[in-house]
Amino acid sequence: MPQRTVTVASKIGLHARPAAVFVNKAKELPVPVTLAKDGGAPVNAKSLLAIMTLDVRGGERVTLAAAEGQGAAAAVDELADLLETDFDG
Amino acid sequence: MDISISSPLTGTAIGLAQVPDPVFAGSMVGPGAAVDPERAPQVAVAPIAGRLVKLKPHAFVVQSEDGRGVLVHLGIDTVNLDGAGFELVAAEGDQLRAGQPIVTWNPADVQARGLSPVSPVIALDAETAAIEAIVAGAVAAGDELFHWR
Repeated sequence: MPQRTVTVASKIGLHARPAAVFVNKAKELPVPVTLAKDGGAPVNAKSLLAIMTLDVRGGERVTLAAAEGQGAAAAVDELADLLETDFDG
Repeated sequence: MDISISSPLTGTAIGLAQVPDPVFAGSMVGPGAAVDPERAPQVAVAPIAGRLVKLKPHAFVVQSEDGRGVLVHLGIDTVNLDGAGFELVAAEGDQLRAGQPIVTWNPADVQARGLSPVSPVIALDAETAAIEAIVAGAVAAGDELFHWR
């Protein structure tokens, strides 16, 4: 199962606007993707409710994981690269 | 099941397109409505009955028993206020009735700090077509704002 752990660059974390950008990107991907905090339970990366409830802060380490399937590794990389960018500029 | 989303604030109900933030205005966070609040101290109340699954000074999410989440974001870019001017009267995890108080704030103060107090009310993970009967014009906290099918 492809996965990657990254540090969230958005200073305000995955709050409303950055969370929406992240989830909309996740929804475009062809495989199920989850996001988890260190040691926490993974949640559906395509659900804004799940991501906002997860409450990821800026600078926090999170792990992305995708179900096996075509494009899974690329999906994880795409979202990981997004999280490593402070895209709420 | 059809649920009724009530206005968390007293003010003027406006379309999301009028929110001065392209991400909210473009419905990227989700479909819904927004309230341009009366510029006086007031308390933001629960738009639906459910659990307060996320509470920040300037934003909260209430999740209904059937799993639907409604986000209320008090003003635009208000995360930068670091909670100044917001007083929490409910706690994360609380089970709320619709209309129950959550946060007190003063939209006039937010405006005085150069930010917009316009507050989006968003049906999270909803299809745009599932939202109907969006109210426009004067609303009091607790009045119906839209339906979520």
